[in-house]
Amino acid sequence: MTGLGYTVPAVISVIAVCVLELAVLRTGLFRKPAYWISMVIVLGFQVLVDGWLTKLSAPIVLYNEKHTSGIRFPWDIPVEDFLFGWSLVTAVLLLWERQRVRS
Amino acid sequence: MDKWQYLLLLGGCLLITLPLEFFGAGIYRQPRRLLRALLPVVSVFLIWDAVAIVLKVWHYNPRYVSGINVPFMPLEEMLFFIVIPLCGMLTYNVVTASLGWWGRLRNRRDRTRL
Repeated sequence: MTGLGYTVPAVISVIAVCVLELAVLRTGLFRKPAYWISMVIVLGFQVLVDGWLTKLSAPIVLYNEKHTSGIRFPWDIPVEDFLFGWSLVTAVLLLWERQRVRS
Repeated sequence: MDKWQYLLLLGGCLLITLPLEFFGAGIYRQPRRLLRALLPVVSVFLIWDAVAIVLKVWHYNPRYVSGINVPFMPLEEMLFFIVIPLCGMLTYNVVTASLGWWGRLRNRRDRTRL
């Protein structure tokens, strides 16, 4: 329950991605309705895929509970996974958008 | 069959999102832009993942992975970092195309009303 190994890096990744956009890239992605609609859809599918990966009855990925908050929702998904997933997808979309701004 | 679970899950994600490529400008049709968006982020997340595995923050159930390994992790885990962003980008591609299409349709309707 120290939260060091997963919770803290997951939170830092979200902050880092926000700083990347607001201070460096400034693509304007966060102002686009298409981005937020996409993220809601991605979230819906993440629950299905991640739910399958983390289900405690037959887990594919196993977490050391020492390094997580211990909060699993919905189903058995560690909440940290949602921060991790948000950072991963948003970071890629930011770099994708940056190339539109350039061109 | 169990050991293909993770790989099949990722394959399913790619297959389900593939038709989204046919809308708008697509992402697979812009391979250079795709790689430039993907590679830096995938690199950072692979390092994060490798560190987490070494520090035993998480590990993989040998029952549900193919047994094919790349450095530090199962092949499936490496592919995860490519497949999931692709799905996200294809979603964004189709939502952007849909909003553009809907906006143009509404514009045209407004103009004909005037």
